[in-house]
Amino acid sequence: MLSTIERFSAHPSQATSPSRGWRHWMVVSLLGVAAWMAHLGSAQAADLADSKVCQALQAKYPQFKGKTLVDAINPHTPGYEALDPKDPNRYIGFDIDLAEALGSCLGFSLKYTPVAFAALLPTLQSGQADLVISDIYATKERAKAADFITYSKVFDGVLVAKGNPKKINGINLSMCGTTAAENTGFVEVPLVQNLAEPCKAAGKPAPQLQLYDNNASCIQAVLAGRADTYINDVNTVDQAVKAYPDKLSKALAVTLPYHIGIGVSKSNPALRDAIVAALGEIQKSGIQPAMMKKWGLDQGAIEPPTIITDK
Amino acid sequence: MDLFFHYLTLGYLLHGIVLTLQVTVLGLVGGLGVGIVLAAMQLSRQPLVSAMARTYAVIFRGTPLILQMVFVYDALPHFGIRLSAMASAGIALAANEAPFIAEILRAGILGVDRGQVAAGQALGMSSFVLMRRIVAPQAIRTMIPAFGNETVNALKNSSLASFISVQELTLRSTQLASSTFDFFSIFFASGLLYLILTGSVAALQLVSERALDLDRPRLIGAGWRAFLPWRRTPVSAEVPMANVGESTAVPAVEMPRARAADIAQGPIAVEIQELTKSYGAREVFGDLNLRVRGGEIVALLGPSGSGKSTLLRCINRLETWDAGTVLIGGHRVGYSAGGVVLSPSAVAHQRIEVGVGMVFQHFNLFAHLSARENIAGPLRWVHGWSAEAAANRAQELLYRVGLAYRADALPRHLSGGQQQRVAIARAIASRPKVLLLDEPTSALDPEMVGEVLDVIRRLAFEDKLTMIISTHQLRFAADVADRVVFLAQGRVVEDGPARTVLSTPSHPLTARFIRVMAAGQAPAEVS
Repeated sequence: MLSTIERFSAHPSQATSPSRGWRHWMVVSLLGVAAWMAHLGSAQAADLADSKVCQALQAKYPQFKGKTLVDAINPHTPGYEALDPKDPNRYIGFDIDLAEALGSCLGFSLKYTPVAFAALLPTLQSGQADLVISDIYATKERAKAADFITYSKVFDGVLVAKGNPKKINGINLSMCGTTAAENTGFVEVPLVQNLAEPCKAAGKPAPQLQLYDNNASCIQAVLAGRADTYINDVNTVDQAVKAYPDKLSKALAVTLPYHIGIGVSKSNPALRDAIVAALGEIQKSGIQPAMMKKWGLDQGAIEPPTIITDK
Repeated sequence: MDLFFHYLTLGYLLHGIVLTLQVTVLGLVGGLGVGIVLAAMQLSRQPLVSAMARTYAVIFRGTPLILQMVFVYDALPHFGIRLSAMASAGIALAANEAPFIAEILRAGILGVDRGQVAAGQALGMSSFVLMRRIVAPQAIRTMIPAFGNETVNALKNSSLASFISVQELTLRSTQLASSTFDFFSIFFASGLLYLILTGSVAALQLVSERALDLDRPRLIGAGWRAFLPWRRTPVSAEVPMANVGESTAVPAVEMPRARAADIAQGPIAVEIQELTKSYGAREVFGDLNLRVRGGEIVALLGPSGSGKSTLLRCINRLETWDAGTVLIGGHRVGYSAGGVVLSPSAVAHQRIEVGVGMVFQHFNLFAHLSARENIAGPLRWVHGWSAEAAANRAQELLYRVGLAYRADALPRHLSGGQQQRVAIARAIASRPKVLLLDEPTSALDPEMVGEVLDVIRRLAFEDKLTMIISTHQLRFAADVADRVVFLAQGRVVEDGPARTVLSTPSHPLTARFIRVMAAGQAPAEVS
């Protein structure tokens, strides 16, 4: 829809054509539709805030009502969280919508603080942030640093150069002797490292790792030929392929035994429990599936809220 | 290319510059503050204090800035100190810049010629005045290139604040690249923005260097230069210029006997009692005694290393001693009336009170000040004269030493002889009672010795100053001095009327010295 408007403005000569009135009406109506959709979004949020469950939750957890909570994000994952290219002063994505929905249900507003991926949990632990909703996989190891509430299953995609010259077909022996780009702290890092032994047993060199601190750097590494593959959330991989259809492709999707989760401080069990309840309401009311569709996260599978924790 | 210009002018990135500059300014201003403290601590004579400063430097210079930023942002909250991202970045950058800035400051201060510091002290400047008027203006000039470097460094280092969520230019660029996939347009645009910032710093550095360049006076920026502390004060009244090399008509020598009688009846100006001083095991003075009366001119002779310079520097307390007393006009030099050792600033004040000035072997003019300002400046800063009175006095003295036409020249543009004449004018500007002259001609080329001796000779007759002159010029001593004191091995070995001692020395060391000097040779080591 917006791209239609852009096409209009990109060809100003058309504005002098006889059909100007019709096109003008079209633009105005499109803008009107956009405004209505935006209104719909806020109406949805208002509905959520007015729902009985959310009202009850706000009564049960008054400590969050009217507060501004800080959400630490690693905003380099279009679809989940990234700058709005149209207005770089705001963040957009599924995780942002989810955070806003949680906020309207529980009555708090949000402030986003951008940090490196490896700094997400330290930022939470130091109290510089109240929660982390940033496409982070809730593993047992990470659960030592924070409590997680899951909201989606994990599907990983294998991003490779166009045509997959190294014939990589998963986190398996096909990766022996190749170089993978990953972000510091990603769960894929130990999985790739663990291939060293089997590769050696098969008489092949172990896979090499290049560590970066955001998706953009990893994608650049594959584009520049420094790395042969980048394995991450399948939706992130799809976005990259969409941006560089001539240079990149997705080898395949692999299922990892993880869940994507919302991180909260271990010292704040009330927030954890409130989010579990609010997330349940968001899923039950059908808002989460709608949001996932909106952001093109078709390959994600909704996961009922479960707490993952470890002393 | 369109995308490049789009991002170059994107408000979102331009706003990132503001935050980049904020982090940089916080880092530099904080770093300068801490750096000044660190530099002062390192220059301190207290070993514990300087060790603390050094430890700080080792830690903060020796660890990566990014760790320091993460520490302030993520670790300090565990100790109950939670700072905003901007404050954390500013503090970490300041803490990191401080030891570098401290070293720049220390090098700049130590780079200022020690002789000028001694001259400032001899003119009665307190430590503060000395720092503000003499050391700092010269040090700042030499420190500008290093500060330019440090500013560019800080500007680039501020990008590390992106790791702790400060939305500065680098973080904005990487986030924008992640969401739009326009990596190269964005990074070229932000690279150019950084270049513009660092280029501005370089331009600022060049402008400051030009503005402070002493060899380009009054060409540009004459307006704002007037507000600088080392500005040249205009002379309000017309003062006639002296002819170059004006003949110095020395009045006929007074009847020596009458003068000797006058002096003998005068008050005691300088009295040294049982002065003892050693450098480690080497004794400089052992029980040295000397008495100089008001208006008397004493030539201090002696072989090299006999302690002549040290003795003069003890008289106005540029040097300390182990035992004994120095009195000028009845005041005990270096001590309060109650016998307590005075601080350097109190000693400076005492030099003015008792009225003792000094002329140095190497002139020690203030290199950043014109000839006129070398004389007028101390009158204003130390003696509280008005700018007009000080300028007139300076012009009058320059006229007397035959250098009125060189009033605006910097010391480095004057010959050695001219510099020493300015230095003499500076030393007598506040009308001291006692003038100490430390080998005033021995650093001069032979053809310039005459002009300086002429000036001293005229002072002796016109101003009736009490003078103690260490010199190797026997003829000059015979002409000018009332008395010759011969110093050897830390003691006065001979003391008597100038002509008597010089013509018929009684001590063998004196006799040998005079014989060698008269033969035009450097005196051999006397043993």
